[in-house]
Amino acid sequence: MTNGWIDIKNTDMMLIMGGNPAENHPCGFKWAIEAKRQRNAQMIVVDPRFTRTAAVADLFLQIRAGADIAFLGGVIHYALENQRVAKEYLVNYTNAAFLVKDGFKLPEDGLYSGFDAATQTYNKSTWNYEEAGGGKSAADAPPSLPPNVAYDAALEHPRSVYQLLKKHYSRYTPEMVERITGIPKDQFLKAADLFTSIRKDGDTRKAATIIYAVGWTQHTFGSQIIRTAAMLQLLLGNVGRAGGGVNALRGHSNIQGATDIAGVFDILPGYLKVPNPTDQNFAAWMKRITPTSAKPKEWDSWNYWSNTARFAVSLMKSMYGDAARKDNDWAFSYLPKVDREYSWAHIWDEMYQGKVKGLLAFGMNGVAIGPNSQKNIDALKKADWLVVCEIYPDETSSFWQSPGITREQMKNIPTEVYRLPGAGFAEKDGTFVNSARWLQWKWAALPPPGQARLDQEILARIFLNVRELYKKDGGKFPDPILNLSWSYTDPNNPSLSEVARELNGRALADVTDPATQQIIKAGQQLPGFAFLRDDGSTACGNWLWCGSWTEAGALMQRRGTDDPSGLGIYPNWAWSWPMNRRVMYNRASCDENGKPWDPARRQVWWNEAQKRWTGNDVPDFKADSQPKDHMGPFIMNPEGVGRLFVPLGGMADGPFPEHYEPFESPIANPLHPKQSNNPVVKKYKSDLDKFGTPEQGFTVVCTTYRLTEHYHYWTKNNPMNVQLVPEMFVEIPAELANEMGITGGEKVKVTSARGTYLAKAMVTRRIRPMTIDGKKVYQIGIPIHQGYRGIQEDEGKVPRTIANLLSPAVTDPNAYTPEFKGFLVKIEKA
Amino acid sequence: MSAASDVRPSGATGEIERYTFRERVMHWFTGITYLYCLATGLAFYSPHLYWLASVLGGGATSRFWHPILGVVFLMGTLWMNNFWHRDMEMTETDRRWLDRVEHYMANRDDLLPSQERFNAGQKLFYWLMLYGALLLLLTGFFLWVPEYIPRQAAWVRPLAVLLHEIAALATIGGFIIHIYMGVFFVPGSMTAITTGWVSRAWARTHHRLWYLRVTGSPPPQE
Amino acid sequence: MSNGPLQIKAISGHAGPVPGRDASRDYDVCKLVDVTTCIGCKACEVACLEWNGYPFRETVFDNTYQTMPDLAWNYYNLIRFDEHVAEDGTLSWLMRKDQCMHCADPGCLLACPADGAIVQYSNGIVDFQQEHCIGCQYCVTGCPFNIPKFNKETKKVHKCTLCSDRVGAGLEPACIKACPTGCLHFGSKDDMKELAETRVRQLHEHSSHKNAGVYDPAGVGGTHVIYVLHDKDHPERYGGLPKDPQIPLLVRLWKGPLKWLGNIAIAAGIIGVATHYLRFGPKRAEEETKGEPK
Repeated sequence: MTNGWIDIKNTDMMLIMGGNPAENHPCGFKWAIEAKRQRNAQMIVVDPRFTRTAAVADLFLQIRAGADIAFLGGVIHYALENQRVAKEYLVNYTNAAFLVKDGFKLPEDGLYSGFDAATQTYNKSTWNYEEAGGGKSAADAPPSLPPNVAYDAALEHPRSVYQLLKKHYSRYTPEMVERITGIPKDQFLKAADLFTSIRKDGDTRKAATIIYAVGWTQHTFGSQIIRTAAMLQLLLGNVGRAGGGVNALRGHSNIQGATDIAGVFDILPGYLKVPNPTDQNFAAWMKRITPTSAKPKEWDSWNYWSNTARFAVSLMKSMYGDAARKDNDWAFSYLPKVDREYSWAHIWDEMYQGKVKGLLAFGMNGVAIGPNSQKNIDALKKADWLVVCEIYPDETSSFWQSPGITREQMKNIPTEVYRLPGAGFAEKDGTFVNSARWLQWKWAALPPPGQARLDQEILARIFLNVRELYKKDGGKFPDPILNLSWSYTDPNNPSLSEVARELNGRALADVTDPATQQIIKAGQQLPGFAFLRDDGSTACGNWLWCGSWTEAGALMQRRGTDDPSGLGIYPNWAWSWPMNRRVMYNRASCDENGKPWDPARRQVWWNEAQKRWTGNDVPDFKADSQPKDHMGPFIMNPEGVGRLFVPLGGMADGPFPEHYEPFESPIANPLHPKQSNNPVVKKYKSDLDKFGTPEQGFTVVCTTYRLTEHYHYWTKNNPMNVQLVPEMFVEIPAELANEMGITGGEKVKVTSARGTYLAKAMVTRRIRPMTIDGKKVYQIGIPIHQGYRGIQEDEGKVPRTIANLLSPAVTDPNAYTPEFKGFLVKIEKA
Repeated sequence: MSAASDVRPSGATGEIERYTFRERVMHWFTGITYLYCLATGLAFYSPHLYWLASVLGGGATSRFWHPILGVVFLMGTLWMNNFWHRDMEMTETDRRWLDRVEHYMANRDDLLPSQERFNAGQKLFYWLMLYGALLLLLTGFFLWVPEYIPRQAAWVRPLAVLLHEIAALATIGGFIIHIYMGVFFVPGSMTAITTGWVSRAWARTHHRLWYLRVTGSPPPQE
Repeated sequence: MSNGPLQIKAISGHAGPVPGRDASRDYDVCKLVDVTTCIGCKACEVACLEWNGYPFRETVFDNTYQTMPDLAWNYYNLIRFDEHVAEDGTLSWLMRKDQCMHCADPGCLLACPADGAIVQYSNGIVDFQQEHCIGCQYCVTGCPFNIPKFNKETKKVHKCTLCSDRVGAGLEPACIKACPTGCLHFGSKDDMKELAETRVRQLHEHSSHKNAGVYDPAGVGGTHVIYVLHDKDHPERYGGLPKDPQIPLLVRLWKGPLKWLGNIAIAAGIIGVATHYLRFGPKRAEEETKGEPK
């Protein structure tokens, strides 16, 4: 979230799409209700189904799963056509005025300039800004952003980002939106008008928020949907403002934390890009991943990522202590150099190919999560070993008992399976990082039962044993293991408060802040990332979290309920990264002169007397940068401004989001039928990676989701949750059920090219038939919480099938998230 | 007229057996079960009489036994009916008697037609209790196990309660008169229903036709 | 269980004055269910179950999100889910938390014959006291909302207590505490009424629900659980909420006029026979005549 849960109460307008917060985030959803109750905020819900969220919405539109970019593109088109944009914001805080290089081509045919059909990748050299003064870079140099960007503040230049954007989305007419999304033109216009009404007649006071969840991310173009939303919010001037922003609702209590601490293969903690084999040394790595500012000459850009080396050196010091020194290149050789993709779907594919031999599964149920669960089951059959740490016997650790495996076949599965008894969430202390980026400490409610152990104890014991083996037997490269810093009071069971302090970081030598002359003595906890150094005098496990556990104490444990501004900032409750800022990029909440757009919602402002930015929130900005310096509010971009156009390698599939069809779609893309799908999508080539087409009979669009009453694949083990929803179902439009003679409660079989799913039919009017590009299309929905282990499953009361037996293993090229939300199936009576 | 009963005069004492042992058992069987239902029923009927339920073992206990003893009471009346129903048939004489019942109430029995073993009032009471018991059981069933009445038929319940109460009140009316007659108004009745025997005079006074029949005397000519 | 500050106002099946009834109280308690902000998350169901310590029940899938078809003796709180299609084709998914309404004029209490089995506290809570319940289920008959549920094993009737134990200790009911969206409110009847009216005005002015209104049915003297509905004229769409709930007329009859008629009739009967005895005396048998054949 750019903003936070509580901040939603400050909004005037909500667009909830690709998420069902009432269902999946009922507690946070109180703030959406609060906005309705206290501010008369309007709520627009766009979803493939009439959801629990839709039940309290002011306007609901049923969209075809996977058509989100078309809808949002249509709203952008509408906003531009009707001058419902924040002009001053647009010119000064986004790259709308920047000129794009000659040779850049919009994807009228579905492809941007530079596509190489053979490798299915883009050469992105034309996806760049034009350099002012016509300067030229050396032809063989890797493409980089020009330090001095040409621009046209009048936004009239045909190659200005604004004009290109306008041209690009001029194709997303209400008629086109109707053809792609299935939303009737008049309804679409009603929604577009309502959402953009906050900028009616040049109003700059109101704010609108966009709220989404995995209904957007879990598509082959998921990252681009979110970008489209971000662009819309930049156009309307909603980013950085109370009640605005682009707000991702995290589906699990600590997903944000998992991402911050590098839950993905291509980043290190704090979103540092991992080294690759071309990085010959630490300096080369830093040069590649540290951006240089790129802006119009007259403007300023803080380019906070220019501090990358400070973050990276401090991380190396935190991980390897004295073993990371300037003279050994900060132990750069210890870091794995990531040569290619190692994403979730990739791991399973490689295991299926027999290349990955073992798997440690902690706190996740890989088989049930899928996608294409059968492939994951068959992959595990080929592994040598599997270790699962869980609190229940789950589908993954019971993969050898999955339906369809006979007793005889079971004997032939060689995989050695270990089940480790983990501890439940209430049995552990530590932090959750929530969607609002708060590091929030929680205390264990009770000790783990029986032989169950805390995660950190299990991991520590495994690590210490592995280290012992390396010590004893040596190995190809023991250094990273032997030199890993492991100085916990109880090495076998590190306390999480020690780990949290380590992540915050401490001074290894005296460090002085040049601005304030404040000195942090060696050994003291660092008060913030401004103190991080690239000379080895600081250690910090995650620069973003620096400031969360300082000499002042554990700020993440705070429970202060004071909210002087009334904006729901609660500055003394827990701790929010970065540096306790509750709304990111909050400089953008003020006009050029540093005055809040809305005097009633003052977050930060320029204090002329003090010559500083001050406010109710912590300014997410260079505190002494005067408004006249024209420093951009988006300090993490080298441009200093928000990106409507993403230059160079920012996105794998294009600088502007374009609507592509889901990999399995009932229609060819009306925009460019010959390039229907995302051209750079990753798909796998195993015999189990099959795709269905309407011609093969897979005509029904299927989407998957969760229910309030259940938590993923856990709560089917809890009688309370099972009581609330005793068995899973397939939501089927009443019209389709009529056509097929299916009545509610009857068992149905859903089949995709990959597998089948059995459940009872829930016949409902909450999903209606749609007309997509002139074709009648039905959508169905499947809640995912069924498996082959659980109370009902073990008693044989429900079919032992997993929803993700249906879903395809195709992933988004930017975030590597699989397509769980839109694929084709057929349905029949079972 | 035929008499189903096997009562007979006794030469030894000069008294006449009015009720056999079995009849007396039947009477007291129904009487006591009725009394129980009456007491518990009244407890449920009026807060001012709820103490009756407490005396009889508590509200829940009373609620448990009331319907069961209701069924037992009905079975008793049916048993009784098996032996008495012919005695209880209303005749032309009964109707004439009823027409002049005010004379009976005013102790001017001489103005009334002679009666068989049971007079018309007794017969009326009998039928009141029999049909009352049937109606009580019928309506009582819906009150007994209302949890099995489907929601759609829920309206039956208040109706059943109403009819149950009306039926009960009707039997109570008859019962009050019955007690009054038996205990106060017609001396000798109590002895009759407890010992089974009445004096010849009693029999001749109250049930002349029956008296003449059981003593073998010719019926009088009116 | 502490009922400390709770004061009893009426007692079922009870003869004589109600102890402490005249002790005055400042306010009636009230639960406000703003149906227009309910998301059907069932937190209230779970909280209710947990607070009352009832075991889990087996449920079966029934083509709905609703946990079970109806309330149960050990399930006081149920969100009813209904799909409704308006004439213009607009779909709504109505979710209403169903529980005892705590009527000001409670039909259950009126119908109940058992002394003390149902009490109405002066704060408006209508509470069943199972130790005094005789299992007759007249309360079921008296209730216009189909709330009380009978436990066949123990032969006792149960329903929502409005957490009289919690309220008595100065806490809000468990469902209120658990509600994540603030769709449930708890306070004095006046405050809740005002809050509800404010919300209704807001709905009139800022939403498409021009016919929104408060459900506080006068037929039962008002209730201590009130709803804000999207459409006040169609409460029946919300899982059969009665439009104009009344204590069944027959119940009123049998507990009112008929009771008194019956009382009078019984009394009149007894007085009548007594008077008759005084006036006419016993009916004497004829003298024993000598010539009588033996």
